[in-house]
This record gives sequence, C-alpha cells and structure tokens, in this order.
Amino acid sequence: MSSDATTDVPAGSAGRPDAEPPHPAPSAGPAAKPRTARPADPTAEPHAADPARPDTLPPHAADPAPAHAHLGLGRLYLRRFSRNRLAVAGAVIFALLVLFAAFGGRLTDHAYTDADFAALTQPPSGVHWFGTNQGGNDVYACAVHGLQRSLTIAVSVSVLTIVLAAVIGSGAAYFGGRTERATLAVIHFLLIVPSFLILALVSHRLAGDWRVLIVVLTVFGWMSTARVIWSVSTSLRERDYVKAAEFMGVGPLRIILRHIIPNLGSLLIVNLTLGVVATVLSETALSFLGFGVQTPDVSLGTMLADGATTVTSAPWLFAFPAGLLVLLTVSMTLIGDGLRDALDPTSATGSAGGRR
Amino acid sequence: MVRHVIRKAAGWLLMIAVATNATYFLASWLLDPRSNYRELRPVRSEEQIDRALAPYNLDPREPLVHRWWDWFTSVTLHFDWGKSPTGVSVNGEVGYRALVSAELVILATVLSVVIGVALGVYTAARQYGWADRISQAVSVVVFNIPASVAALVVVFVAIWLNQHAGMHFLYVAGENSPDVEGLLPTIGDRLLHLIPPTASLTLMGYVGYHLTQRSLLLDTLGADFVRTAQATGLTRAQAIRRHALRTALIPTAASVAFSVPAVFTGAVITETVFGWNGMGRYFVQTIGKNDVHGAVATAAFAAALTAVGAILADIATVFLDPRVRVS
Repeated sequence: MSSDATTDVPAGSAGRPDAEPPHPAPSAGPAAKPRTARPADPTAEPHAADPARPDTLPPHAADPAPAHAHLGLGRLYLRRFSRNRLAVAGAVIFALLVLFAAFGGRLTDHAYTDADFAALTQPPSGVHWFGTNQGGNDVYACAVHGLQRSLTIAVSVSVLTIVLAAVIGSGAAYFGGRTERATLAVIHFLLIVPSFLILALVSHRLAGDWRVLIVVLTVFGWMSTARVIWSVSTSLRERDYVKAAEFMGVGPLRIILRHIIPNLGSLLIVNLTLGVVATVLSETALSFLGFGVQTPDVSLGTMLADGATTVTSAPWLFAFPAGLLVLLTVSMTLIGDGLRDALDPTSATGSAGGRR
Repeated sequence: MVRHVIRKAAGWLLMIAVATNATYFLASWLLDPRSNYRELRPVRSEEQIDRALAPYNLDPREPLVHRWWDWFTSVTLHFDWGKSPTGVSVNGEVGYRALVSAELVILATVLSVVIGVALGVYTAARQYGWADRISQAVSVVVFNIPASVAALVVVFVAIWLNQHAGMHFLYVAGENSPDVEGLLPTIGDRLLHLIPPTASLTLMGYVGYHLTQRSLLLDTLGADFVRTAQATGLTRAQAIRRHALRTALIPTAASVAFSVPAVFTGAVITETVFGWNGMGRYFVQTIGKNDVHGAVATAAFAAALTAVGAILADIATVFLDPRVRVS
C-alpha cells in the first residue's frame, strides 16, 4: 500500500513516463488543472478529524477519472493522501519522531541510566539539553529512550491487536452459527469487565518488563476492534467470490485469510494507526499510575509521573515528555484520518471503527 | 417496556455476577495482602502475618475456594463486601468515595455535554467557516491529549493564576481544606477545590460530544425533511433547531445516558493528580495496597454501573426516537 511512501514528494505529473503511448497527453491536462485550482477550492481543504464525512471525495477528484484509470492503485492512494495537507503534516511529524527515537541518542554523550550528581534538577542548558531530573538523569536521553519504549509498545500492541481481532472477528462472521454466538458472548463479556482495572491488576503484578506489558495490553485490547471487524465481515461472507471459493473446495481457513481479511484492508490499516493512539494513551495512563513500565526502565508515562510533583518548580521535567506524547498521538490521528479518506473515500465503516 | 427492561437487567446481572467472581479469583491470585505486613517493624514472621490476616478472610493458608465461599455468602446474604488487609470496611469506603466522585464528575459531565453539543450545533450550521475550522483543529488536538497531561497543564495554569493574583484561591490538592467552619465558607471552599479538576475533566469530556454532535447534525442537515421544513417557511435556524437537531440529538442522549452512572466510578487520573479521595483513586490504592476485597468491590461497582448505563441508554432511545419500538 501507499502508507510506506507517504513522505515522498507526490508525483508532479499524473501520467507515468512508462504509460501507454496514446494516453500521456490527455492525462496531463485534466490532472494539472485541479492542482492549480486547489488553493481556492474550499472542498479540497482537509478536514481530517471529521469522523463520518459523507462527501469525502472532493468533486474535482471525479473529473480526471479517465486519467486515473491507468494510474497504479498505490499511486492513487498516495495522491489522495497527499492531497490532505494535515495528513502529510502528520506523516512528517511521525517520521521525525521515529528518527528522533532511533538516532536522537547518538547526539548526546549521556545515557538515560547515567546519574549526574553534580546536576540534580537542573533546567535545560548546553550540557543537558532538556535539563536533568531529581536523580540527575539527563532528560534528553530519557526522552529519547522513553519515546523509543512508548513507540515500540504502541506499534507492536497495535499490530498484534489488529491481527488477533481480524482473525477472531472475521472467523466468527464466516463460520456463523454457534461459533459466532460464542465469540460474541466472549467479546461482550470482556467488554463489560472493567478492562482498565484488570489491566492494572495484571500489569501491577507482572509488569516492570515492557514485553509483558505488550502481551497484557494485547490480550485485553482486541475486543472492540474484533466486534467492528465482525460486523463488517458479516456482509463479506455473502459475497460471490466467497461462494465461488467455497464451490472450488477452498478450506475455511484459507477463505478467511485469502478472501475475507484482504477485503478488510482499509479498515484494518486505519484501525492500526488509531490503535497506536489508543495504546499510547493507555500505556501512558498505566505508567503514570505506576502500573506500567517501572523504574529503572523509562517510558513517556513514567517521565510524566516524575514531573507531576514539580510542575511549577521544574516544568521541563513534565513539558518535554508531554510535548512528545501530544505530537505522537496527534500525528498518528492525522495519518489515520488521511489514510481513511485515501483508501476508502465512501466508507462509513472507518468512522464506526475509528474514534468512538 | 418494563418487561423488556427486566429481561435485559437479568442478563446484565448474570454477566456482572460472573465477572465479579472471576475478578475475585484473579485478584486473589495476583495481589498478595501479606506484603502490607512485611514492611512493619519489628519484623513479623510469616506465621504472625497469616494470623493477622485471618480475621479479614485473607489468610493464605486457607484454601482459596473456602475464602471465596465465605466472601460470596457474606456478599449475597449481608451485602458485606469484606475488609481491607488492615481491617477497614470496604462498604464504608465505597459509600463515601462514590459521593466524592459524584461531586467531582457530575458538574464536569453537565458542562461537557452542554459545551460539546452547543459547539457541535454551532459549527455544523457553519460548516467550513472559520469558527468551525478553528474549533475542529482545537478539538482534534485536545482529543489526543492524554488525561495526565491535561490534568498537569490545568495544575500549572491554576498555580500560575494563584501566583499572579497574589493569593491562594485555586486549590489543586484535595477536595476540601481541613480547618474550614460554617456552612457558607465550607461551600465556598469546596467550590474553589472543585474548579481545577472540573476544568480538566470538562476539557477532556467536551471533545467527544463536539465531534460526534457535529458529524451527526451534518448528516441530518442534508436530509429531505429539513429541506421540506425550510420550504414551509421556517428559517434555517428554526429548521435546524426544531427538526434537524431533534433527530441528531438521539444518539447523543443515549451516550449521555450511558455515561451518567460512570460519574460514581470517577476519573482515575484526574483524581490521582488532584488528590481527590474518590472511587478512581480508591481503585489505584486498592491495587497498590494489595486490597483484594476493595479491588473486587470496585470492579463489581463499575460493572454494575456500566449495566445501568446501558439500560438507561436503551430507555432513552425508546423514549426519544418514535421509530424504535420495543417488541
């Protein structure tokens, strides 16, 4: 899909150089026109957060349809995505955050575990760029490590959750009957169990290790997504290509993996990005309360908890992790909304699974 | 209608009973009440600790099934949810703290709904106007701010305001001051303690209502019946208020009904940051202090209120939406 190439500069011309001979001339014309007209056109403005916007496709997007016909699907998605300026901004911010988490540590000599006893609770300076905390740890090094930790947890929980939810949700829908009823009963049951309490209970005992936290967050986080996927797959189950595959003697597991789940693609990708936001929020909450990542390890949530008692006397302790967190969640939401509009402009399911 | 509600309530009751008992076993397995006594000096032997825990039905030498049966019978027969490892009654704690949470969350919920819906209606009627764009951008950012960050920002602003006003008038810790006497000073003192956490909760709460109400109203604004209403001579504002908003409010009303009971379970992060001894903080403390009975009671309380909220939402939908019939 196009999501891996979102930061690329969008292709200036609509026609690819290797396009068939008769087409390049007409394809360049209509595609170039809306491009210049865009700033004046209010409908082209991105409204990324609108959860259920029926008029997602700007009117002029339909005009150059003949030109798009031989545009690759990936290029089409990329074009639609990059039309949404907020989504591109989100992708750029997210890429910068990932770079910061990956390579930010190389810029400083301090490790997040080093304690500088000559500088306790010092404001930002040339030596310690983000200042130091009560134990003399360099806040910049902590922030890099904490962002790394939070990102790793968020992305892996989100991926695992989506995989689990896709298999369970579409499996329940495909098999139907007793399997479906039993799965839905389990999902509804897990939804009324106060999941945050169970999370805190389990991670209080087992946590400290971020890998355990990933497992715990996944096990108690797949239900609502699975329910959305189930409700969408119930209609996919009746499609002709599923019937055709059944008549060809394809096994149920193969039908689910090859025919149902790929057709949920856009829903899954959008839920993946929004799942990252949800995981970051709950990981932060757990770590803030002391139930998630625990010292000596550092995540953005534990840094917030450190800074909570010194909000006015040492605001840098709280400001830097808070800023990184907000950048992370906002950029991910913008990307998710941009992807939803790009992959599936007419879909109402995205909003059903997205925000509320 | 009544029969429908009773049938639903019975189903929920069964789910709550199963969930609560499952939580009891999970909590007994994961929480170790003995650790509360290990910190005491002089050091107690394991034998002494177990004996100290025995009157509270937490003795680990007793098989778990026996402990569960004692707990289960005391809950079903006397509605006694047991004691904490230090002998404090869970019933008394929950009763007091639920009211503290309610004091905090009711005002915040009302403010969130009023501000969110008003903003949603105002911006939907002026879609793509500057007010719509600005509020939309603000709401998207606020929607993604973690609760802890929002609460700490409010703390920062409150302290800053105190310093600049030159007096200490906003309190960011606790629900009341200990040495205030008399009716009016008590009310004033409570209100001043209430403002910062309410601001934080309202900030977190209005966003959802704004975004959903806006998109719900946008869906109905283009509907035929709104156009017909305008064609009969109503102004656009009248058509929106009397016809479009009426249908668009139904899902919002259901979600408000769903969230009303949640005021008693409180707000975990906000209560922790502002030092309010409500249910949210109780939940954190029970787990931190290995209080099995307290944690289970909190879980049961939360599950019960979720069920009440779901039933209230059903009732609200039936009353507000003439298209829905209970069969």
